[in-house]
Amino acid sequence: MLGAAGTKRTAAEAGQVETTGGAVTGTSSGVAELPIGRGAKTIEARNVSLYYGDFQAVEDVTMKIEPNKVTALIGSSGCGKTTFLRALNRMHELTPGATVEGEIRLDGEDVYGAGVDPVQVRRLVGMVFQSPNPFPTMSIYENVAAGLNLNAGRMKKTEKDGVVERSLRGANLWEEVKDRLDKPGSGLSGGQQQRLCIARAIAVEPEVLLMDEPCSALDPVATLAIEDLIRELKDRYTIAIVTHNMQQAARASDLTAFFNLEKTGRPGRLVEIGPTETIFTKPEQQATEDYVSGRFG
Amino acid sequence: MAESARTEYQEELNNLEASGLGGLDLVSAALSRTLEAVEHQDIELAQIVVADDDRIDGRYLEVHQSLITLLATQSPVATDLRLISALLHVLKNVERMGDQCVNICKVIPITGNEPPADEEMVSLILAMGAQTRTLISQAKRAFAERDVEMARDLVRQDDVVDDLNRECFRLALAIGDDADKREWAMTMMLAARAIERIGDNAVDIGEQVAFVVTGLFREFEDASHPTA
Repeated sequence: MLGAAGTKRTAAEAGQVETTGGAVTGTSSGVAELPIGRGAKTIEARNVSLYYGDFQAVEDVTMKIEPNKVTALIGSSGCGKTTFLRALNRMHELTPGATVEGEIRLDGEDVYGAGVDPVQVRRLVGMVFQSPNPFPTMSIYENVAAGLNLNAGRMKKTEKDGVVERSLRGANLWEEVKDRLDKPGSGLSGGQQQRLCIARAIAVEPEVLLMDEPCSALDPVATLAIEDLIRELKDRYTIAIVTHNMQQAARASDLTAFFNLEKTGRPGRLVEIGPTETIFTKPEQQATEDYVSGRFG
Repeated sequence: MAESARTEYQEELNNLEASGLGGLDLVSAALSRTLEAVEHQDIELAQIVVADDDRIDGRYLEVHQSLITLLATQSPVATDLRLISALLHVLKNVERMGDQCVNICKVIPITGNEPPADEEMVSLILAMGAQTRTLISQAKRAFAERDVEMARDLVRQDDVVDDLNRECFRLALAIGDDADKREWAMTMMLAARAIERIGDNAVDIGEQVAFVVTGLFREFEDASHPTA
């Protein structure tokens, strides 16, 4: 039951994840072990249509986002890929008048089911946004711990220290910021800020990470650092990434889903999903071929 | 949405395909001259073919470099990527076919200025050459028209070349005891072998046609695992 998937875990569960956690081990002494991530989960969308009031933005999307894989969502502007991404963790409904049809299931559990807490869904399905958005008045430490304060208010300081360190390590940022954790997050470079946001997202131990053009505001070096990080993170999470950068989709994803709309004003639809290698070498649909070849869009 | 974007890139790719496939016309012309040199034991013409191979090599270098530039600057994917990959193969085939003509022309002077020693064998070589020119033009057309069936038919056409090659071998074995005649027959065997290889290269181009169209590379015939 999704709503019952609380933050407490048994020692056995913790130990089990610890053995598979890899990069999250090796923390400061005396810190309680709180392994990051408890296993990636499958997200399955069935006949999903999304609306903003009367306007239909997405029509009848059925697709699976598989665990421990990176799924890239590509398509021209306005094709509904970001709207679809935001529906996966119930952020779509935060827009006034926005509605959802169809089913979205997280390991079989309907995330829109009666009694399911949307806040809990968003904790399990984290989101990283286009522009790095650290809380400007908060320190690096506080930025990472922000989600913990909301989700586990009574966490001891030592436990929190451990989670912050593990999250920053998980986001490949620890070595760069460990001596200035009390400095403002906004003082970091763009690439570091985005990794800080990723650290903040993984601090609450999500099972799925959604990324909405996470590199569009970054230079090529910072972009490649985030892509390396994405590859590492997929060992622990299910990852879906919206990107306009075709080469990024080709480089960083295992599966690629192409969204398209017939014309402006019409809803976006899923045209084709398949292994990234196939989409970029021999896609099935001519529309996909035209888009990835840069012949339109 | 802007239709037919990247027109310059598309035009460049089309031109490179035409230029690369045009290399097959150069090979066809070189083969015609080579056959004429064999028929008339024309050493001068043979030397011209050898010198002229620079044009084929030049075409290879020019198109190859431009394709690499397209790969580096335009990030081609899907059909464009398969086409560029196939063209890089085809260029290598073109270059090898040119070299086989050179190989033939280099052995022609070995037997001096005496006319060919055996008319039947010359006829076989000329027939092989004519059939191979057919293969070259068919390979070019199959590629340009993305016609997999036409490409597959190259195997059947190449079987004719192979049969003629075997016939040449039988004739050479039975050429008699005259030392000069035997030496000439040996050079003709080398020529037949070179023409047979040109045919094989044409079939390889056909396999690239299938790759461009289907996205799968499969040898039409596997020499190490022949079918019955």
